[in-house]
Amino acid sequence: MKVNLLNKITNSELVNKHIKKAITDDTFAAKTLVTINVAKDVFAYGARFKTTMNNKEIPEERRPFVAAMDLMSGIVTAAMQIGVGYSLANPKFQNKIWDKCFKNCQFKDVVAAKKGFSQILALIGSTVLAERILVPLIATPAAEVVEKKFFPHPIKKLHTNPSFISFADFEKDIANNKNLNTFV
Amino acid sequence: MPNINQRVATSLEKFSQKGGEKVSNYVNAAGKALIAPMIIMHNPFTKEDEESRKWAAVKQPVEAVITIAMQLATLGLLYKGIDKLISKGKINFKYVEEATKDVSKIPQKIMEACNNDVPKALKMYKEQYNDIFKDRVGAVLSAATYIPVLAVSNKIYPKLAKKLVNNKNESKPSK
Repeated sequence: MKVNLLNKITNSELVNKHIKKAITDDTFAAKTLVTINVAKDVFAYGARFKTTMNNKEIPEERRPFVAAMDLMSGIVTAAMQIGVGYSLANPKFQNKIWDKCFKNCQFKDVVAAKKGFSQILALIGSTVLAERILVPLIATPAAEVVEKKFFPHPIKKLHTNPSFISFADFEKDIANNKNLNTFV
Repeated sequence: MPNINQRVATSLEKFSQKGGEKVSNYVNAAGKALIAPMIIMHNPFTKEDEESRKWAAVKQPVEAVITIAMQLATLGLLYKGIDKLISKGKINFKYVEEATKDVSKIPQKIMEACNNDVPKALKMYKEQYNDIFKDRVGAVLSAATYIPVLAVSNKIYPKLAKKLVNNKNESKPSK
């Protein structure tokens, strides 16, 4: 049964065409790697945002920023990885760097090396430069804006107010239309 | 003296042969654990208070370590399983089978890389098909592991963050 399913996959035209293109076209292989990373990240950040919002172990006054950070990181990551990763996967750009670095090197298999170079360049560009440096740089202030606009939490502002107990109380107050002026 | 470019060049060949999914996960985790927290903590473009930033920063390395541990364990098992099926001849790709019967179907690029040696080119074509297939299945599995990873990290990370934030508060002189 399992082998039958596997045979269906390995004999499908779509899978075979995709793999053949990834073998013969280095740019396509590098772009696919970036796209897969983006898809995984969108899924992961979406799940992170949801679980952070529901994580009672994170203090209420910290939760909105941590969740907003997850959300904005996901959005900025997707845009940034596609932009940087696809640009670095450009053959002209890659050939220039390749010639500069490896023109006089010896290769057992130059095709495999060029493919690896193409993939690792796109990967480092999209995951390290874009995702881990540019994304937190942009996502942190963006999360701050999102937090203030969409998840206003009064606890932080009214930390010194002993009468204020929890976020749930605040929600009740809003529902009862009480104390709204206090939070502006 | 060994040429550093030559070393990198050799590593590139290995990277291509081993497939990208594992390396992609290493690069991702290293960036998340080492670079992202620093950027969050020392970002000049935000006025968010230090404690909230600390809470967001601590989350990154905790998730990175749990993610890479989980992915390495699961991907290792998956790749072993696929290799076993390949060695038993249970995974056969249509285009590779066609190329075995008609060598003109082997991509020119592979023929050139093998100096037109047909058996060698066929072997390389088959290996590359298997490697890319493993990579794609691995990517799906990596995404699936995020669910247990988040469940574990959501338990561990708040405890660690609380400890770090409290330590900082204790060491600060009260105003």
